[in-house]
Amino acid sequence: MAVKHLLLRLEPIIWLLFGQGILIGTILLTGWLLIVGLAVPLGWVNVEVLAYERAQTLGGNWIGRLLLFLLAALPLWKGAHHVRSLSLDYGGLKRDAVLAPLLYLVAAAGSVLALCAVLRLPEAA
Amino acid sequence: MSLAHPDAMRSTRPEPTRTAPPFRPDYTTPRMRRYLLFDATGFLYLLVGFVVLRAIWALSSGSEAWAALLRDFQNPLYVIFHALCFVSVIFVGVRFFRLFPKAQPPRVGPLKPPPGPVIFALLYTVWIGVTIVFAAILAGVWP
Repeated sequence: MAVKHLLLRLEPIIWLLFGQGILIGTILLTGWLLIVGLAVPLGWVNVEVLAYERAQTLGGNWIGRLLLFLLAALPLWKGAHHVRSLSLDYGGLKRDAVLAPLLYLVAAAGSVLALCAVLRLPEAA
Repeated sequence: MSLAHPDAMRSTRPEPTRTAPPFRPDYTTPRMRRYLLFDATGFLYLLVGFVVLRAIWALSSGSEAWAALLRDFQNPLYVIFHALCFVSVIFVGVRFFRLFPKAQPPRVGPLKPPPGPVIFALLYTVWIGVTIVFAAILAGVWP
């Protein structure tokens, strides 16, 4: 009951992160998946464009860090909320008391790790 | 596939407004299948979020970790996963951007939101524009 109450209180924040996960997450993921996930591994683009020095220059400044953080954290919230929604459709409220906090905790932990990861990035030269 | 729970959205306390009794949706309709598929993309978003996190962690760990990550991304399983994610992202974008103009409040402060087609055009312009610029930067084409 306490968990449910907490989730209801946090609902505006969860919905904000979920909505931005769909909006900003989708907008940013399209280019990332196209180049980093497909074009470079399949050899459509020379792998040298993602050489460490260049990747570090792109990701090591504050704009790069912010974009990388959003790219990792926001999809986690979209994912957590939609998996919860799917579980509600199939399992009803009984399972939700355990699954919902678990999913949001995973998204929150991932977001904190993403923040730590971007702060660990070496400063761009 | 098991059926949806009929009490999935039922309130835990009596509500003042009378509602129709819950019923199981018909999963054979294309509309319901698309709705469930939209929710199911959540699994891929959750996973890809952690893959991006792994990439940032590798970048912050040095050149060897980064090179190992790029080698891993060449694994066919990763390529298939990224292709699935790419298709999911396009599906989510198209579906969500079609819904977005309909979900606007009648007023935003003192202003009325722009007409639906304008919002729709703006969303697609931003989506395509950001994708082209982001992809061009990552691919070393620009600047």
